[in-house]
Amino acid sequence: MPQTQKKRFALFTVLCLAFAFVPSANAMHIMEGYLPPAICVVWGAVCLPFLVLGVRNINRKAGEQHQTLLMLALCGAFVFVISSLKIPSVTGSCSHMTGTGLSAILFGPAVTSVLGLIVLVFQAILLAHGGLTTLGANCFSMAIAGPLAAYGLYRALQAAKVDRKVSVFLAAFFGDLFTYCVTSVQLAVTYPAAEGGVAASLVKFMGVFAPTQLPLAVVEGILTVVIVIGLETYAARELKEIGYLGGNET
Amino acid sequence: MEEQKHRRGRGHRHSGAVLSIDYYAYASAIRRWNPYFKAAFSMACLVLCLAYDSLAVSAAVILAMAWVTVCLGGLPCRRYLPLLSIPFVFMLLGSAAIAFGVSLHPAGQYRLRLGFFYLYSSRESLLQGLHLMLKALGAVSAMYMLTLSTPASEIIQVLRAVHVPKVIVELMSLIYRYIFILMDTQGRMKKAASARLGYCDYRTALSTFGRTASNLLVVSLKKGDAYYQALASRCYSGELRFLTEQKPVRAAQVVLAAGFLVLLTILWRLTG
Repeated sequence: MPQTQKKRFALFTVLCLAFAFVPSANAMHIMEGYLPPAICVVWGAVCLPFLVLGVRNINRKAGEQHQTLLMLALCGAFVFVISSLKIPSVTGSCSHMTGTGLSAILFGPAVTSVLGLIVLVFQAILLAHGGLTTLGANCFSMAIAGPLAAYGLYRALQAAKVDRKVSVFLAAFFGDLFTYCVTSVQLAVTYPAAEGGVAASLVKFMGVFAPTQLPLAVVEGILTVVIVIGLETYAARELKEIGYLGGNET
Repeated sequence: MEEQKHRRGRGHRHSGAVLSIDYYAYASAIRRWNPYFKAAFSMACLVLCLAYDSLAVSAAVILAMAWVTVCLGGLPCRRYLPLLSIPFVFMLLGSAAIAFGVSLHPAGQYRLRLGFFYLYSSRESLLQGLHLMLKALGAVSAMYMLTLSTPASEIIQVLRAVHVPKVIVELMSLIYRYIFILMDTQGRMKKAASARLGYCDYRTALSTFGRTASNLLVVSLKKGDAYYQALASRCYSGELRFLTEQKPVRAAQVVLAAGFLVLLTILWRLTG
């Protein structure tokens, strides 16, 4: 039937177009203007207790030693630079690390929440990744939920005496996946499907973003392991200072 | 987007990495405007665009912001349009997920049978997708009006004025400065590594990238010590103070801005 054939052809074209654009995706930042104002406020409010904790934590540390603030600033700039770099990819596309897993493992989740918020602001201002009104939602998924998951997993695996490289990989990998799931949930709750509501919408959002996010999570895991190995080899002393490698924190 | 720029040989290479928005902000002709005014106006447009949620308002915001950025700010169109396309992928994928649905039984106005399930859509959901795309584009243009005309240091100054916690503002101003130092360092490391065939195949590229990144943190933590010594010898006591330029607001600007916001409300009343 020509009618159905026409439709199929149209659908095929749309799918091809969509996949042609997919490789140039950046991390899962909800773009500016994508969430209604009420939802933005809600997510901002959800983030607030974590940020207050993080700010208190930093204030306490910085009160003892002025140098801490500088060190944290360098760490924050490091996370920004890492997340703004194009990572090598098979298809010659352009994707970015999130750096959330790495940051959580190195600096702990409380500090990561504040650094993550600042990095997200700069990503919005300097790179136009994400936005100012969606800051709350993005902050929750990337600076709070993802790092918490990565950190919890890392600690649990370390306690279970799993090899450090494996636990770093798994923590970064699942931290990324968790971020992606949380973002999908945020979108699904905001835009439920006509048929099947939030659950159906969640499946749609996860399906649509999966082709970009799954390979990215694997690459992120591998890169995080390489980075941590490099750091352990060359910067054991500095790492102790910022709290990694048996230092006490959070 | 980075690749496009490199291929056509334009865009600004800021110490080894592209941070073109920052460069355009410093070059903008409306940098002289008061940053508090610009921030307030841009946020007002952004919030109204989201709150009114109407096609006409979104279109008006897109056009007005493009006019301010391109005509008043002096940013060439051919630079402005690629910037608008940065969030395009997210917009396309997100709106596709909203406009189309998947269901096990026939649903919606238009549907397509794909094996055991249906891909369906309806007039409303397609319209909703379009609506959302325009709204997001309007919001992005409003944000660009601010970020393409106001350097980050002035935005931080605005944040300080609205009483964002001191630690965050201090960290932000330090991080903003360090970003460029680290990007410069990373750019050099990358050049050195690629000159030694560090990016010859995918495996090597991954390992080089990771090692460069870890080296970057090592180097920056070591530098941190030197920065602290330098600051401490200049009586650093945990607070940095910057000299800020006085940029007066002109009455005409405020009247025009207020007029535009009123116009948006009227548009919303008429069409909504």
